[in-house]
Amino acid sequence: MIQLLPGASSTVAALSAERVRLDVITQNIANANTTRGLDGKVYRRQEVCFESALSAVEGGDDRSGGGPRVSLIRKDMSPGRMVFQPGHPHADGNGMVEMPNVSIHEEMADMIVASRSFEANLAVLKNSRQLASMTLAIGKK
Amino acid sequence: MNPLSAIRQYIAQVPAGLGQMGGAEAKIPTGELNGLSAPGLADVTEAAKPVEGSFSGVLGHFVNEVNAKQSMAVQTVQDLQSGQNVSLHQAMIAMEEASVSFQLMVEVRNRLLESYQELMRMQV
Repeated sequence: MIQLLPGASSTVAALSAERVRLDVITQNIANANTTRGLDGKVYRRQEVCFESALSAVEGGDDRSGGGPRVSLIRKDMSPGRMVFQPGHPHADGNGMVEMPNVSIHEEMADMIVASRSFEANLAVLKNSRQLASMTLAIGKK
Repeated sequence: MNPLSAIRQYIAQVPAGLGQMGGAEAKIPTGELNGLSAPGLADVTEAAKPVEGSFSGVLGHFVNEVNAKQSMAVQTVQDLQSGQNVSLHQAMIAMEEASVSFQLMVEVRNRLLESYQELMRMQV
């Protein structure tokens, strides 16, 4: 039923997808020092992949490619840093502890990108609403 | 929904006004949505003929659609607040849709009123 605001369905999909990305980044940053996850191993950084969802034909339009869709949330299995900390409860035989492969700087940069993308979609939405209001004012005297 | 009940009262009054012109039925199947793109005298004269899909049919259709959008918006906001799987932007967009569709309905009503009044001003 999203037909009054032009292009609103793509924008909604993009906003939802960016929110998922922000959630994943938040989780990565929060677990940057988690040495034991639920599966008993060190926390592995997760990353999000988007794909363009070919939206179902809306009202007979032939426009292909709706908004993005989160296609998968993948664990980055690259090894983390090994830190020498013999007193750590999770240290192995050599006193080395494997820290998560989360790089705070990269996560912060990703967070900025995701936030700006979110804001851009919000600006698009505001613009569509303004255009709809101006269209409705065509007949006003 | 006071504005919507005002519109409903208008719908009830319009057939009475058109009755002098040999006009429209009060209850009309809402499947008809004739060309609202040019609400002018053409629409009014078409409504004057005893044909289905006149003023009250079109307006009734609109009122039902706007009501559906408003209740969907309210439902979305309630879902958001009760913790269902609804995100904030979906609730905001649903409310925007309802507001824009309501304004559209008001504009349609204004146009129809204008054309009706213009017709009534014609000298017999």
